[in-house]
Amino acid sequence: MKEPEFEELWKSYDKKLEENLSLNKKNARDITSLKVQSLLSSMRPVKLFALITGLLWVGIGFLIIIPIFLYGFESANKFFLFSATIQLTVTAAGLWIYLYQLILINQTDITEPVLETQKRLAKLKSSTLWVAQIMFLQLPVWTTFWWNETMFNEWNLIQWSIALTVTLLALYAAVWLFINIDESNKDKKWFQLLFGDQEWSPIIHSIELIEQIQEYNDENK
Amino acid sequence: MHVGNNSEDFLNALASHKGIVYKVANSYSRNDASKKDLIQEIIVQLWLSFDKYDDDYKLSTWIYRIALNVSISYYRKEKRRRVISQPLPDELLHIDTVEKEVSKQPEVEKLQRLIKELKELDRAIIMLSLDGYDQQEIADIMGISVTNVSTRKSRAKKKLRQKFETDT
Repeated sequence: MKEPEFEELWKSYDKKLEENLSLNKKNARDITSLKVQSLLSSMRPVKLFALITGLLWVGIGFLIIIPIFLYGFESANKFFLFSATIQLTVTAAGLWIYLYQLILINQTDITEPVLETQKRLAKLKSSTLWVAQIMFLQLPVWTTFWWNETMFNEWNLIQWSIALTVTLLALYAAVWLFINIDESNKDKKWFQLLFGDQEWSPIIHSIELIEQIQEYNDENK
Repeated sequence: MHVGNNSEDFLNALASHKGIVYKVANSYSRNDASKKDLIQEIIVQLWLSFDKYDDDYKLSTWIYRIALNVSISYYRKEKRRRVISQPLPDELLHIDTVEKEVSKQPEVEKLQRLIKELKELDRAIIMLSLDGYDQQEIADIMGISVTNVSTRKSRAKKKLRQKFETDT
């Protein structure tokens, strides 16, 4: 089919729309009188809440832990202390993601050209993967929180083997996932198994969109 | 000059450009339910942005840009909007008659379906091109160079032609 024929078909489609499509003015007028947020603006409070809650968690956590390091280190449970420090440090790193997302939300203007706006929106969605990376990175410390020095005296080899195996597996999984949860692996089976749920589909879609945008930008140069 | 200062201006603008809203929503939605949601979301976003409209630009260009920006990034799962006072009205465009009429033209239906199979950005360029926008206008809407529009447009049209010929 030649190009003009596509255009002819499209014109006939337009004609049908012209003749048959009508605006429900009453409902459209209702929209103009309601207090309503755009989908993008409605994301802002969620991100802000996550950022503030995270800041409180990290702040209070460090307020408790720093004095222990300074004044009670000798008597403290070192496993708990170091596990908590790692957890709080990783969470603090995760807070930058929420800050970055808030900046992207504020910078996005839906009236701007398509590529620029879509790039921001796609980055906003795909950055949720970073949250997953951070979550997984905390995995090993949740297996060491409860360790204590008496375990050295009381545990037998089997108990130690189990505890160490669980922790090492968690450590391996955390590091492996941290490195491999990446846009370039989106087509791998394990990635789709992990993020194949419908909840994640906007994120996977945003990664594909970033690739399209990149292709367009490469040709723009 | 600012024209977007009241709801009547908005409703008139919407009434004269409802075809763009429908065409874009139809090309980016997965099913009828998501099409209605998408039409609603485009109209909400047009209204929320209307006071920023600057008539140095053609209204159709501005509407196309917003409709595309909303549609390309839209997911039904993301419906998390908080309406402060009451639910939003559902049926903003009467689309049933249109769809019945279009279904009587299998070639038009086929073209619509095959456009939906193109990648999101190529889809936008094809629609704008079929709607008669020149390369400069398409470049302004998309935010790419005119040369890039030309390359992308011919590639997308080639793909569309191939699909059209092989599709039974």
